[in-house]
Amino acid sequence: MSDTIELLEAIGQNATLRHASADQLASILEQANASAALRSAVAAGDSSLLSAEFGHKPNKAPQITNVPGHEEDESDDDGDDKPHHPSEPGHSQPHKHTPHKQ
Amino acid sequence: MLLIILSALPFPKLPYYQAMDTPPLPPTNDAPRGSLACVGMGMTLGSHLTPLARSQIEQADVVFAALSDNIVELWLQRMHPDVRSLQPYYAEGKSRMKTYRQWVELMMTEVRAGKNVCGVFYGHPGIFAWSPHKAIEVARAEGFKAHMEPGISAEDCLYADLGIDPGRFGCQHFEASQLLFYERRIDPTGYLVLWQVGLVGDLSLKRFSTGAAYRQVLVDVLSEDYPLDHEVIVYRGATLPIQKPRVRRMALRDLPGAELTAEETVVLPPSAPLKQNLAVRERLAALDKEASIA
Ligand SMILES: C[S@@+](CC[C@H](N)C(=O)[O-])C[C@H]1O[C@@H](n2cnc3c(N)ncnc32)[C@H](O)[C@@H]1O
Repeated sequence: MSDTIELLEAIGQNATLRHASADQLASILEQANASAALRSAVAAGDSSLLSAEFGHKPNKAPQITNVPGHEEDESDDDGDDKPHHPSEPGHSQPHKHTPHKQ
Repeated sequence: MLLIILSALPFPKLPYYQAMDTPPLPPTNDAPRGSLACVGMGMTLGSHLTPLARSQIEQADVVFAALSDNIVELWLQRMHPDVRSLQPYYAEGKSRMKTYRQWVELMMTEVRAGKNVCGVFYGHPGIFAWSPHKAIEVARAEGFKAHMEPGISAEDCLYADLGIDPGRFGCQHFEASQLLFYERRIDPTGYLVLWQVGLVGDLSLKRFSTGAAYRQVLVDVLSEDYPLDHEVIVYRGATLPIQKPRVRRMALRDLPGAELTAEETVVLPPSAPLKQNLAVRERLAALDKEASIA
């Protein structure tokens, strides 16, 4: 089975694939041995079907806040400046440090 | 001597873009100096990431990610072995402002430790996003190198997918709640783009969506400038390359009852024609006349 993330990247980068019809893309994905989840998401035009492969983990989108008295509020309401490390810190990798030269 | 004077000066309380000429403090020892780059991932996986933003990611020591789609986050993880998601710091019932300050602190902790840090934000990192601007401001104030790389934002996709040119009639952008919390002047002869309508009116900062009653307040405020049957467009751009943009058109009065996610943007096309400014036109005509006489 092909790697779904690599296939998505390839589709996103290719003008023909990015704008192909669902039918065209479905047959290309069939030949490319795409995962069942990716193929059904394309066929149904419903990307939520990809969650079968990656788990249903919707991300949150908000970023800006405009509440009076909050937006540039430097004083932390509960005086807690330390970052709270949530139980699952969400590091995709432990602090394994691979140096990348700049 | 000059250095002593410079370091004795208090830091100006300026936004970082105005403080850009402030020379960074000299390093105190030979330890590696950390740096910060906040880059945009663009909206659509595979399509929008600029070569320069990608290079920032690949060359960083540590990457922090605030992305709106978890599959895009998996893609980012392919580009660097140490990608740390900022998503888990969000929590229902916790002030988002606290979350955003934590994000800044997380990035700055690594910068202070001498790391080259890359913060990756979906879309454009500087558009309707507090923490990238703040982190750059803090990093620069502490003498670190910090900059922003633009990305393709929801705004850019919206112009392309809806066929809108912001220059035609002008275009105002507001975070929807700002229209409720503050007195703003809407110009209905231009486009109006409203962000974060899904959580409009959330004074608590602790919710990720508000409901129909809150959107009704928004509609009531908008109805001072627009008729209730005016068309509004609810727009969601593609985040995966197998998606199509979602464009829903409805009457303003129906907005409260519509289902709306946190990642949709609402557009109100102009409801009135541009009005000629006769006084200024006359003044310009007089100038033209003077110039042709001279
Ligand atoms: C905090 S802003 C972040 C915007 C982001 N920095 C950018 O450059 O597009 C979040 C808001 O962006 C808009 N947004 C996010 N994702 C979107 C999408 N896929 N399509 C349309 N608008 C989107 C919505 O208005 C949402 O409430």
